[in-house]
Amino acid sequence: MAQRLDLLDPAEVARLGGIEIVAEGVVEGFLAGVHRSPFRGFSVEFTEHRAYQAGDELRYLDWRILGRSDRLFVKQFEEETNLRAMILLDASRSMAWQGTPERLTKRAYADRLAAALALILLRQRDATGLVTFDEQVRQVIPARVKAGQWTRIVRGLLDTPDGRGTAAHAALQRLTALLARRGMVVLVSDLLFDRELALAALRYLRHRGHQVIVFHLMDPAEVKLTGPPEVRFRDPESSVSVVVRPRELARAYANTVQREIAAWRKACRRHGISYHHVQTDMPFGLALRLLT
Amino acid sequence: MSFLHPLALLGLAAAAIPALLHLLQRRIPPELDFPPVRYLSAAERESARRLKLRHLLLMILRTALIAVIVLAAARPLIPLRGGGAHQPTAVVIILDNSPSSGAVVSAGPVLDRLRVAARSSLARTTSADRVWLMLCDGVLRGGTREALLAIIDSTHAGWQRLDLVDAVGRAARIVDAQPLPGREVHVLSDLQRTALASGRADVPRGVRILALEPGSAVTNRGIASVTVSEGAAVIELGGSTPAGRDIPQPVPVTIRIGGARRDRAGGGGGGGGGGEIAARGLATPGGSGGTMRSAVTVSLPVQSLAPGWWLGEAALEPDELRVDDRRPFAWRVAPAARVTATPGSGSFVAAALAVLQEGKRVSEGRDVVISGGEAAPPNAPHAIVQPPADPALVGQANRGLAARGVPWHWGDVGTPGNLVAPQLPALDGTPVARRYRLDGASDEVLATVNGEPWLVRSGNVLLLGSRLDTAWTALPTAPGFVPFIDALVNRIVIGEADVNSAEGAPRVEFRTRGTDTVGATVFGPDPRESDLTPATPALVTTAFGGRDRVEVLSASALSAERFSGTRRADASAILLILALLLAAIELAVATRTR
Repeated sequence: MAQRLDLLDPAEVARLGGIEIVAEGVVEGFLAGVHRSPFRGFSVEFTEHRAYQAGDELRYLDWRILGRSDRLFVKQFEEETNLRAMILLDASRSMAWQGTPERLTKRAYADRLAAALALILLRQRDATGLVTFDEQVRQVIPARVKAGQWTRIVRGLLDTPDGRGTAAHAALQRLTALLARRGMVVLVSDLLFDRELALAALRYLRHRGHQVIVFHLMDPAEVKLTGPPEVRFRDPESSVSVVVRPRELARAYANTVQREIAAWRKACRRHGISYHHVQTDMPFGLALRLLT
Repeated sequence: MSFLHPLALLGLAAAAIPALLHLLQRRIPPELDFPPVRYLSAAERESARRLKLRHLLLMILRTALIAVIVLAAARPLIPLRGGGAHQPTAVVIILDNSPSSGAVVSAGPVLDRLRVAARSSLARTTSADRVWLMLCDGVLRGGTREALLAIIDSTHAGWQRLDLVDAVGRAARIVDAQPLPGREVHVLSDLQRTALASGRADVPRGVRILALEPGSAVTNRGIASVTVSEGAAVIELGGSTPAGRDIPQPVPVTIRIGGARRDRAGGGGGGGGGGEIAARGLATPGGSGGTMRSAVTVSLPVQSLAPGWWLGEAALEPDELRVDDRRPFAWRVAPAARVTATPGSGSFVAAALAVLQEGKRVSEGRDVVISGGEAAPPNAPHAIVQPPADPALVGQANRGLAARGVPWHWGDVGTPGNLVAPQLPALDGTPVARRYRLDGASDEVLATVNGEPWLVRSGNVLLLGSRLDTAWTALPTAPGFVPFIDALVNRIVIGEADVNSAEGAPRVEFRTRGTDTVGATVFGPDPRESDLTPATPALVTTAFGGRDRVEVLSASALSAERFSGTRRADASAILLILALLLAAIELAVATRTR
């Protein structure tokens, strides 16, 4: 039995190849594991047939074609192709960090997750785009549904270098101007920036009618503090440093992190924003399933 | 507080280790990238006070832990009033097993009570102490605790009197000479008043004298001495009676005559003569307090007047103290001397001898020659020599004495005076009008006039300073003249029977010279042991050095007080428990407060 890549350890999956291979493998496994298309419903306005894929709901199966040609097709409707999804990927310097060498950096994890998400959306014929940013907007790939869009998105991910700092709220404010049409906005970030300012931008998107989804990426080492008896931890973005004894601060730190996650979750819920906390050791399939 | 191992306190320097580690650990820590520093800073801000308190608490706990462990290793001794160990102490345990300790009080010998106290004292000693045991012989016995316990267990009432004042003084000096923090003398005695009569002990400051208080006073009667004189035995009684019982009481006395010892020097003597004589005397209180003094005179049977050494034993009815209820005695009956008086010895001497011969106190012979000094001393076994009547012959007489080896000679005419003769009471006070001074040395002086020798003995020769004539002395006209001549010829010149007394188990030991028995020693307890009157606490306190050094205590109080001046509890166990507690707290603080 072939292993489902979406459920394997992300670091192991990443070793199988580049973003495209990993994302396709993840999406194949992911779609094989669900019984319906993950994100969108179907309109009553029929447009075309497409081949049945595992996970498609049987009620949309075209029984006539099945009866005549003994092949499986599902009926697609007009509104399905009208979804516009924009993936906002945080490429700041803090995203290029990994707790241990065996684990993916947050950026690497985010790239693969974004690629897989884009692939799923494009397979559903949803117009999907990509914006990468750090303190500035680095890449903007408008949402399209045409062939080769996924390849462009992947290239956009690959072409975005690791940034220096994070002024996400500024980037997000600029993004609001780019996202004129309503759609779905997926933010993939470690959220290491000012929460209130970032929330103001996300709230604005929400106000403009966007469906906003936040993936809060964290390395497991950021959740549970470990390290040598005494160490100077330095923020790679701001160069702010602090000397701590991880063993004696571990509990307080864990409480602080949990409090921060809870604060994000609560604030997002209050504004109708979907919030998902994802650690970089979480299999991609489980992360994607959070969206269903 | 003191310490058994004070050198271990040097380890207290280790208490600085936590602080030193804290300072030394202030090195540059490794630097690592960590994006969520903002979370760290927030957590640290929230925990800063708690962490500071934790660090301080941990450092205090660790410092205290090391200090407590070091203190425990030093074995601290803290003062205690109750039980516990004590500082090293030099202690002398005086276990007074003198004869009086054999008295039965409250259905048990006094010695048993003293022995229990001594064992208790000894049991409280440790290997760091120096312990001596003193018994009634006054000998200080050192040794291990086990050895001294064995001595105590095997001790019985002895026969020697212990002068407690002297014993305490010596014991105090011994312990004072020891370089130990504690110095004590435990006096376990019946504290007879007579044992404290010799003054006040010199007890150095810092030496504690702990005396077991005496028991109740008991009545006792004992035989102090027995002397035989002129056919009668005089039994001196001693003892004690409780206050208020000062009515004279009859005392039954039994005399056993044990028979004669053949004595060549005595000229054969008689044999047999054994028997038992019962008599009653009147014991009357005398002296101070409850002391009893009395004498009972018992006439001896005629057969016991036969020449020779005689043994006897006087006995009282048994009472609380048995050792003084019997006492042996010995006496010698000399055979009648064979005496010759030279013509120059004078008419008074001749008359006295005639009287004695008639009374068979002397017989005709030349064993003893009484001369007038008119010629050289007679070549007889024994001689009694008067100065010559003619002063011109004094020189010749002196040469005769010198030829016989007598170191005395007549010198100048002495001043008149009265006789003083402690050994011959009949002579005391007799006037002497004329005399020669007796010059010589070293021999026995029997009587003096004006402090100058008047009657001396040198070997077998008796030398008189005056002639036995009324022109020289009033002695010939005195009633005691004949007894004096009797004593001279039968006892003094021949050599008086030497009967001494000494402390020891009741018995008689004879001294011999060649084949002759020349004396006897009668052993028995010291008469003062019969007086069981206990000393008052005030007297004990005074005799043993004063209130600041002496405590007279009951058995229970003694048990609590001995070594209390230096009693310490070893606090190391408590400190180790405290160390465990500190370690547990440190562990809890180090793990639970993260």
